[in-house]
Amino acid sequence: VKRTLALLVLLLAGCGGGEDRVTVFAAASLTEVFHELDPDARFNFAGSDELAAQIREGARADVYASADPRYPRALHAEGLVGTPRVFATNRLVLIVPRANPARIAGLSDLSRRGIKLVLGAEGVPVGDYARRLLPPAALANVVSLEEDVKAIVGKVALGEADAGLVYATDVVADVRAFELHTRLRIPYAVAVVDEDGAEFVRRLVSEPGRRILREAGFGPP
Amino acid sequence: VIRVALAAVTGIALAFLLLPILALFLRVPPGELVAQLGSEPARDALLVSLKTSVIAHVLILGVGTPVAHALATRRFRGRRLAIAAIELPLVLPPAVAGIALLAAFGRRGLLGDELAWLGISLPFTQAAVVLAIVFVASPFYLRAAIAAFAAVDPALVDASRTLGAGRARTFLRVAVPLAAGGLGAGSSLAFARGLGEFGATIIFAGSFPGVTQTTPLAIYALLDLDFDTALALGALLVVVSAALLTAVNLLPSWTRSPSTFPTPFARSASS
Repeated sequence: VKRTLALLVLLLAGCGGGEDRVTVFAAASLTEVFHELDPDARFNFAGSDELAAQIREGARADVYASADPRYPRALHAEGLVGTPRVFATNRLVLIVPRANPARIAGLSDLSRRGIKLVLGAEGVPVGDYARRLLPPAALANVVSLEEDVKAIVGKVALGEADAGLVYATDVVADVRAFELHTRLRIPYAVAVVDEDGAEFVRRLVSEPGRRILREAGFGPP
Repeated sequence: VIRVALAAVTGIALAFLLLPILALFLRVPPGELVAQLGSEPARDALLVSLKTSVIAHVLILGVGTPVAHALATRRFRGRRLAIAAIELPLVLPPAVAGIALLAAFGRRGLLGDELAWLGISLPFTQAAVVLAIVFVASPFYLRAAIAAFAAVDPALVDASRTLGAGRARTFLRVAVPLAAGGLGAGSSLAFARGLGEFGATIIFAGSFPGVTQTTPLAIYALLDLDFDTALALGALLVVVSAALLTAVNLLPSWTRSPSTFPTPFARSASS
């Protein structure tokens, strides 16, 4: 029994981690860039809103990078994270499956009857930004509200949805993207949650960090 | 020493299993919890769940009962394989079930063109939610039903047939009542599993309030927007699941009560 107990404790301790790897909570749209920036970090990619909720519930993070400065600002006001800093900007694009079955060429086509449009859910930044741009008639064509941007790309890339609005940096090979002629620039903000995260943030705003972001399609802060 | 350690481990295990469920109810006062269920997102989600679960369950019972009976009583080649195949979704991770359904019934899936030709597009519809539930939940019923039918004494079935009852009548009046306990238990488990369906639904049917957003999906969507409503929905699902579990545990004794058996020979068989 004792040996079993000891083994159990050991197993649990193993899950707890606690070594010197930095834990980064980041918007799903930062997945590729952040992996390149620090392959050794431990990442939790999800919708920025969900991550904020997790930090509020006491999840252990060292860095929080959000696709909407509102969330780190709110967490900062609650004393949970350091001062947020904008480190990049992004823009929305319209994506359709490669084959483009609904023959969509721009935002105005999204109001046509029968179009299957997928957006981010309420509170998920990519969805909130999209709702600012779309005409009400297009909103009637929404068939699914996803919890993060990768889920939208997935449904469009599979060809199940006719169109979706995502960040320019999330475009993959299986979809075709259309630029939206809008001035909407989406600021990405990062905040240190625990001082162990300071080094990651320094790297992010350094010249090499900027270059990785630029190459992935992010705009300057 | 070993006894004390064992008691301690048992206590810890029980506390670990029950504490999260208790916490669901303790975080928000009960009155508030009930009030949250009346909010629009909660009502929408509960209605979607109720509708899709009931339709799926009717399909599972209607198709599953005769299929289980056939698999339990007929001997044919590939029977064991068929039974094993039926049980596969039981152990399949829900996310795998979701992409499997897309690969089969999605717009670009195996049957995508045929379905499109018929004017049917399943993803993002309530029909997709029903399919997802049937796919993941029906094995729970089928498994229990096959076992229950297999346990029916064939002599009683033969007696019914020699006494002049047809196949259908024998099935409905003899086999089904004798298997009722197992059928009921399987039915409750399948319903509970269907009600909690998450992974296959969010992948295959998407999530849209009032259409495809079932209660578990709503809990996920509300996590950040409205934690209290998410908790209230969670608490309600716990209550419903507990009720179903109680039903499963009570059913066998219920079927042992002689009043549920219309014919005298059936009673003697169950003793």
